[in-house]
Order: sequence, then structure tokens, then C-alpha cells
Amino acid sequence: MTPALSDILRGNFLSLAIPAPVESQGDFMTGKVAVIALLSLLAAQEAERGSQSRVWENAAIAALLKDAASIYGQDLLAVADTAAEDLSIPALDAANATLRRGLIGLHEAVEAAGDLPRHRSIIALYGQMAQARRLDLPPLPAG
Amino acid sequence: MSLQQGLETYLTGLWGAPTTVSNLARIPGGASRETYRFDSLVDGRSRGLILRRDPPGGLLETDRRLEFLAFKTVHGHVPVPEAIALEESDAALERPFFLMERVDGGVVPSPFVVLPYGDHAQALGEQFFATLGRLAALSHEGTPFREAAAEPALDECWRVALDHWSAVIEADELHPQPIVRAAIRHLRRNPPPPAQRISIVHGDYRTGNFMHDGQGAILAILDWEMAHLGDPLEDLGWACDPLWNHFDDTRVGGMIAPDQALAIWEAASGLTVDPAALAWWSLFNAVKGQAIWTSAAKAYRDGGFTDPVLAISGWYTARRHDLILAERLAALEAF
Repeated sequence: MTPALSDILRGNFLSLAIPAPVESQGDFMTGKVAVIALLSLLAAQEAERGSQSRVWENAAIAALLKDAASIYGQDLLAVADTAAEDLSIPALDAANATLRRGLIGLHEAVEAAGDLPRHRSIIALYGQMAQARRLDLPPLPAG
Repeated sequence: MSLQQGLETYLTGLWGAPTTVSNLARIPGGASRETYRFDSLVDGRSRGLILRRDPPGGLLETDRRLEFLAFKTVHGHVPVPEAIALEESDAALERPFFLMERVDGGVVPSPFVVLPYGDHAQALGEQFFATLGRLAALSHEGTPFREAAAEPALDECWRVALDHWSAVIEADELHPQPIVRAAIRHLRRNPPPPAQRISIVHGDYRTGNFMHDGQGAILAILDWEMAHLGDPLEDLGWACDPLWNHFDDTRVGGMIAPDQALAIWEAASGLTVDPAALAWWSLFNAVKGQAIWTSAAKAYRDGGFTDPVLAISGWYTARRHDLILAERLAALEAF
């Protein structure tokens, strides 16, 4: 997923460090700082859960691809064997991109074959993936 | 030349009289345009104005001319500020821009706060959906909007919209997104019924894009930068998207019960809501949202990570829409 956690933190620094022109101070800067504050809070969640969710998602997609390989092609096994070089988020994301492309291709093949049970398995996985990646915005009161 | 000096020179030429500008300040107002408020003084008369200027890099490549013509067209039918001038060259203010009257005395709550409308939620919800219904009923024939807006056929609205937004995802995606791609394929396999009529579609009609007076009255519908001609159910589906519900699953836009919203819209538009058609447009709008957030993530990166609004759009809202899409896909019976 993009932007990455490092992008967000780097961006928060740049957003605050670069001087704003005089007409962009006041309400605009107040609003900007509020958004930066929210991003920092969400970044904390990503720091806590981001690696774990990616490790889980990569394993879940790999398992689904392996399970489907006997019907939808042995080349899925090679995709399923994609492993991250280390546990850093960039490495996990690189592996995730390969696995997700494999998943997209498999889902298209499943739809073309009218394979409803496997289609539902993939849809269920989508729900789990989205849940694992969720960011929880605090219910802020209206200003 | 400063922005203030540029505005003074431009307005002096526009109005044919010496004009001064004061109280120039940028305000939060969407990621696709830089928005400024200021006061102009000409012939002893002060006018509060809004400047909407193209950014160096924005959320979407939207058409400022369409936005300007939308303001001109709906003014008098829908609460919007009066459009003043459109400048499509870079000469005056370095980038193209347009000017409109400023509406004072209102508030525009963030879409991500709880209970933004307090005791006035019901009244605002009724106006919000009645206004959207009136927009759906408004004839676009012979209006300024038709100078720039293409009119799709009734049975092509869905395809035009889906082609446009899926192309945005294709162009801007930086990481594979299987959930939204599954939704796009479903939408193509299961097209909706033809539109009942072709209407002016606001394109981003939602809570957070209207100004109210804090006493239960809507003062202005804002941000027409994605306006186009199409199926009016597109706006209805977007307005009802769970992303905009202010953490309240029982009320659309945090304002009004869904069945009330649809009934008010039907009464004002003279159209009926086909549940199957609205379901298609609701799923489509989650795709459209994901396309916007995908574009935001790319713009955030391309712009050097300096616009936090693009960051939160490309990150938090993208993940919210993945959740919404996954839930909607799971609820479908067929492929």
C-alpha cells in the first residue's frame, strides 16, 4: 500500500519544516497542523501493526495460491514461494506486490471458470486483508 | 509580483477601475485547488471573494472550466456562490484560476468528526437531499455547463464513469489493489439499468462539501470540481457512502435516516430510486473513491510528501474504502 509509513513521517517533517508563505498561515496552517497530528496518530498504529499485518497477508495469499495451483496452474506455486528478503516494511511490501498480482490473476481465472466456492474464499480473504490493514481514526468532536 | 499584487492588477483590469485587495488568506478547501479568501475594494465598495487557483500538483486533473460553468449554471437553483471570472492562462497569477463571491458566516465541518451538526442534523439532512434532488431535476439544455460538458447516452452513463475511474487506477496505482479490481470486474459484468435522465452530477456531493449557518440552514454547496453530466444516482450513491457517515451507521452523512434521504430525493427530483441501480452506483462510488485516493497517494509522492491532505486521502481513506468494498463484495450473491 502507499504511502508507506516512512513517507508519512518524512512528509510530516517536511510539512512543518518548510516555511509557509504569509497568506498560507492562519486558518490554513491550523488545519494543516491538525491533519499532521492525525497522520502521526495513524502512523503510530501502522508502526505497531504494519509489519504483522503484512506478514500475515503474505502468508494468507501464498496459502490460497498454493491451494489453487493444482487446478489453476503450477506457476502459482512459484508466485506463492515469493518471500520477503527481511522483515522491513519495504521488503514485505515488495513481496506483497508480487503475491497480490498473483492473487488478482487467480481471481480473474476463478471468475472465468465460474468457480463460486473459490471466488467466495477469495472475497473472504479480501475482507480479512482490509481488516488487517485498517487504520482507526479517533472519533474527534466537531470544532 | 506577490499574489496580492497579481490579484489587484487582474481585478483592476476586469472591473476597469482601481482595485485593492486586503485580508488575503489561504483556507482549507480541497486538495485539487488552492483556495484563498480576500476582500476587494473598488469604487468604494468592498466585496468578499474566493480565489480558486490550480495547484502545482493536485489530487485530480479536474477541469476548472467545468467547475466554473457549473457554478454559473446552478446559481439560483442550488445554493452556491456567484461565479465572477475564469482565467485559463498563467499570465495573471502564475497558474489558471477562477473567482467567485464569498459566502460568509458559515461552517464546513470535517467529514471525520462525530456529531458535526448537533441538533440541526435532521434539518440539514432534509435540505441536503432535497437540494440534490433539485439538481437532478434541473435541465442542463442550453445552459453554460453544456459549453464544456459532454452528454452521455442514458445507457452509457455507467460505462463512461467506470471507464474513467478504472483508468485513473490503472494510471496512478503504485501497489496492486486486488479488492478494487474485483469490484471493477463485477460492475462490468453486472451493468445497471439505463439512467432515467441525464443530469448535472456534482461529482463530490457529500458531507464536508457544504457550508451551513450553524442554525440548521445550508448556505452553499461547494467543490464542483468533478461536475459532469451523467446518471443522478451517481451523486446519490456517493452522498450515502459509509465513508461520510461521521461514525454513525444509522444516518447517511451523519444527518438523516437512509430511507428518509431517498424519499426526499425522490420527491425533489421526480425520479424513483431503483434499488438495483442504486446498489450498482453505491459499489461504483467505492471504486471511484478508491481511484481518487489512489491518485492522491501518487500526487503525495510526486509532490515531495508535503501536502498532508493528500497523505490522509491516499492512506486512511483508501483503507476505509477497501473495507467498504470488501464488505459490499461479500454481500453479493453472484460473480
